[in-house]
Amino acid sequence: MNDSKNAFDLKQIVTKNKYLGLWRLLTGYRWLFIGATMSIGMAAVSRTAFFYLLRYFTDDVLGSETIRERLPWVALGFIGLALLQGAFTFYSGRWAAASAEGIALRLRDYLYDHIQRLSFAYHDKTPTGELIQRVTSDVDALRRFFAEQAIGAGRIIFLFLVNFIALLTLNVRLALLSVMVMPIIFVTSIFFFKEVSKRYEAFQVQEGKLSTTLQEHLSGVRVVKAFARQQYEIDKFEADNIERYRRGRRLLMMHAFYWPSTDILSGAQMIFGYFTGATMAIEGTISVGTFIAYMGMLGMIIWPMRNLGRLIVQMSMGIVSLGRVTEIIKEDRERLDSGTAVPNGPLRGDIVFDDVCFTYDAETAVLHNISFAIQAGQVVALVGGAGSGKTSLVNLLPRFYKYDSGSIKLDGVELYRYPRRYLRQQIGIVQQEPFLFSRTIRDNITYGVDRKVSDAEVEEAARAAAIHDVILGFPNGYDTKVGERGVTLSGGQKQRLTIARTLLKDPRILILDDATSSVDTETEAAIRQALENLMPGRTSFVIAHRIQTVMEADLILVLENGRIIQSGNHNQLINQPGTYKRIFELQSQIEDELEEELASVKREA
Amino acid sequence: MSDIHFEEEEFETEFNGKTVLRILAQAKPHWPLLAGFLVCITAVSAIDSYLTYLGKRLVDEAILGQNRALLTEILTQYGLLFVLMAACVFGFIYLTGILGERIRYDMRKAMFAHLQKLSFSYFDRTPIGWIISRVTSDTERVAELVTWGLLDVTWGLTSIVTAVIFMFLINWKMAGIVFISIPILVVVGAEFKKYILTEFRQVRKINSKITGAYNENITGVRVTKSLAREERDLIEFQDLTADMYRASYRAAWLSALFLPVVQLISAFAVAAIVWYGGLQVDLGFMTLGDIQAFVGYITFMLWPVQEMARVYAQMQQSIASAERAFSLLDSVPDIQEKPGATDPGTIQGDIVFEDVSFHYEADKPVLSHFNLHIKQGETVALVGPTGGGKSTIVNLLCRFYEPTNGRILINNQDYTDLTLHAIHSKVGMVLQTPHLFTGSVRENIRYGNLNATNEEIEAAAKLAGADEFITKLEKGYEENVGEGGSLLSVGQKQLISLARAILAQPELFIMDEATSSVDTLTEALIQQGMERMMNGRTSFIIAHRLSTIKQADRILVIKNGTIAENGTHAQLIRAKGHYYRLYTQQFRKERETQVMDLPVNGVLVGE
Repeated sequence: MNDSKNAFDLKQIVTKNKYLGLWRLLTGYRWLFIGATMSIGMAAVSRTAFFYLLRYFTDDVLGSETIRERLPWVALGFIGLALLQGAFTFYSGRWAAASAEGIALRLRDYLYDHIQRLSFAYHDKTPTGELIQRVTSDVDALRRFFAEQAIGAGRIIFLFLVNFIALLTLNVRLALLSVMVMPIIFVTSIFFFKEVSKRYEAFQVQEGKLSTTLQEHLSGVRVVKAFARQQYEIDKFEADNIERYRRGRRLLMMHAFYWPSTDILSGAQMIFGYFTGATMAIEGTISVGTFIAYMGMLGMIIWPMRNLGRLIVQMSMGIVSLGRVTEIIKEDRERLDSGTAVPNGPLRGDIVFDDVCFTYDAETAVLHNISFAIQAGQVVALVGGAGSGKTSLVNLLPRFYKYDSGSIKLDGVELYRYPRRYLRQQIGIVQQEPFLFSRTIRDNITYGVDRKVSDAEVEEAARAAAIHDVILGFPNGYDTKVGERGVTLSGGQKQRLTIARTLLKDPRILILDDATSSVDTETEAAIRQALENLMPGRTSFVIAHRIQTVMEADLILVLENGRIIQSGNHNQLINQPGTYKRIFELQSQIEDELEEELASVKREA
Repeated sequence: MSDIHFEEEEFETEFNGKTVLRILAQAKPHWPLLAGFLVCITAVSAIDSYLTYLGKRLVDEAILGQNRALLTEILTQYGLLFVLMAACVFGFIYLTGILGERIRYDMRKAMFAHLQKLSFSYFDRTPIGWIISRVTSDTERVAELVTWGLLDVTWGLTSIVTAVIFMFLINWKMAGIVFISIPILVVVGAEFKKYILTEFRQVRKINSKITGAYNENITGVRVTKSLAREERDLIEFQDLTADMYRASYRAAWLSALFLPVVQLISAFAVAAIVWYGGLQVDLGFMTLGDIQAFVGYITFMLWPVQEMARVYAQMQQSIASAERAFSLLDSVPDIQEKPGATDPGTIQGDIVFEDVSFHYEADKPVLSHFNLHIKQGETVALVGPTGGGKSTIVNLLCRFYEPTNGRILINNQDYTDLTLHAIHSKVGMVLQTPHLFTGSVRENIRYGNLNATNEEIEAAAKLAGADEFITKLEKGYEENVGEGGSLLSVGQKQLISLARAILAQPELFIMDEATSSVDTLTEALIQQGMERMMNGRTSFIIAHRLSTIKQADRILVIKNGTIAENGTHAQLIRAKGHYYRLYTQQFRKERETQVMDLPVNGVLVGE
């Protein structure tokens, strides 16, 4: 592939005119595709030439004086024409495939990159299944548009045109009489296939519903058994199953009527053509050879036409797919490298928020007038209930979202001036719900660093994250694939793997969610140990769920409804009335409560 | 998600006579359909062959013979045959299609019904995706084989056979020439197609990898972004798409080569006929129409030959599919009722575990010689570390599994003497990961008792503390819960499944971490309802929540498959053993979470 094909920016296919969009999609492959189309036309010409040769054979060779000398040449002619036709067909297929596959390759690569560069805001509102559907099925529909449908329709049209022109040269009246019912067949086929695709869709929907019912049943099979509801479930499945059968039959009836009725239409046209042609031949208006050639050409015109409707309807669906793909493409990417501030070397990590406001979708304000300052290496604990804005606040730092007003300064420079890539390399995130990739454990740990990492380094990170021993317990150790059969990682183990990943990345700024509510006490201790190895020396933002973390923080921000209602360190905050003081008081009462609780048990006895 | 993207391997096996017979047996109940389409398709190819023969008569007798009357007669025959053929075409499309739909329907029905009989252990070791593929795509392939596969074969064979017969009738010497080309066509065609099919299989394999990559690309986008991994991920992905390009381009141009090659071979046959036939005509041994008919028959035979390899490969796949589908149908439920098992109508009474041993995998015992006596109406809490055997005890109790050794008595009767329905219909179970079915809230609660009135449903919801949030939903009880209950929070789902169990009015009530995700306020709310529920009912509770545990009549600490401690809350606290430690740890954790998770309006929980 040459550079011009790769350099083409697919953004250009975003246009109101869909046909123009298709044409632009062909950029770099246009000549190849035109070649493929021309080639299929030439194949049709060769096919028709076969009938001319047959006519020549019948009229001029048979019964002539020199038949013995001329026969071998005629025979050779048939082979030659088959070769020609074959070569044209082959090159048409090959070039069409090269264009279509090239276009699909370019689309796939572009979409993959595009998706990972779209903003969080986009991903927040787009369901995964929807995106997957578009990047796979719709891209494939476009591939088939060029590889099969456009070429297939071209083939039928060329066959019709070439043979029709050939018929005209044989005999104009005969030619015109031979295509009388063609418009009817063509129009019928379009209507038919439109209806078929509608019924097919209804059928597919039901098929999908059946799978969903089954899937749901199987995931709830314990509930079914626990309530002994087998018969109820069988009835439910039966309803879906019978409906699928009905829709299948409805689709089937379309085909069962279309093909025989067009058989009769086409057959009537053929018989009429044969009658006219044969009469002319008997009268001597046309030669016998002409009649034989005519019989062949008539078949080439009539029978393929029934499929033209199918291709046209499929092509219109391909165009719909183009629309669905361009909807993704027209979204703006998040620019990774825009920004001028790229320090030589790592950041220090001083951060100042000054009157920062942020809204997700221009309607609901999430953060109001956030101001605070911390120095490199300090720990900020964010305290607040669900929906108070903790996560939104930390999501601004890697520039995942854009703040609306105010300023955030990192080492004295406005955050927007740092390129996103640079920022994200400097920030490490440990999420509450860790995400691992279906690769080996080693790959998952080294996922965040862009260099060769030695085994020793990986193991060191794993040890510090208190996960090394667990990994050694897996069948293939560090080379065990996550998600492989028989390997199940608990939530706590996943979390420690992401901590190891972050340790290896060695970021200057750390964002972590220390939620450990779902893990048992032992795991919790291990995670805590891992975090203690991770945090020192890094500016850290902790979404705190534990009082210990909060007490040790250099700065505590108590958030409520997107506002900071209290800030300061532990000593400052416990000496002023407010939420934090109450939290701490309640917290310190826990031991007393426990004592009392246990004592009450003893008193009862 | 992972289940939907379950990667399906492709299977192929050699022909296995037994399987083929069993596949054909699927059509047996509908044999008139099968016989009908076989007759229709045979008629179609015979008529097709005869039409070519008519073409010869048209040229020879009507045109060269200058016979107008015969022309009309021949064309009338044409017309009648077209109508007859159209009728047969209708017949075979309709009959074949209906037969396929019937077989699919029958097989799915049978498989689903069989799934109802299989035990928990089967679902433990079989991924959902696997079962779904058996029920959906495998039945599809089996049906394909009995219908369109059989149709293709019949059509191909009768087309070739009738064509050959007509050719021999016209001129046996020339038929001989054509006959030689058939094996060549078949062999070349089959070999070629095999090659192409391998390429396509490769394409499908890479394609499913690409889908997997996209899936991670999208679901993991937040991690990718935060690790600034975009470029390297793209490079890895490009390797995949480049492979895809190569494989599919290769597959495409190989297929583009297939037709021309087959046509070229047949062109040699045509050339031979023109040459040899031309001489014969010259000598007066043959007619022009004969040559034309031969050319027609050669083209006619091309199609079946082209399709043969594809049909063969599809058959192999279908047989492999059938074997897997049949394996599902043949799997024997681990738990079976004894002949003569009874349904006493109630399972009230004491429950006794008598020297019970159990394992899921042969070398990993979960319970060994476990003994336990529960009195009718007692509430028992099971506590202890994950994997200690708590859920196993409950599963054995419900007879979702049976003891590998020892026995379980319900009201002094070995429970294997009862029918499964006798036990299951009296059990109410609420699980940690509650499963709801697509449908309304009301439908989901009604699942506990299909005959319940709306009032009863709402009363159960009130008792479960679910009524409050349900009435706040836009459509109240008619609100759709989404697939698997996805539109509700875990806590809400737990409340609905609690209401479902309450509505069932079970004799044996079981809660397995049933309210773990319910917030503390709601938990306090439903406490009362649960107490009323457990009053007089034998109940088993597995829970972390102290408030739930404390109300039990008896607490069992289960560790490594044995009862480490057994007693009331007060007794065990005083004993200062496992339970004491568990209790104090849990107490701190619970309170701490309560304190830290401030509600938005600043009011602290528990204040």
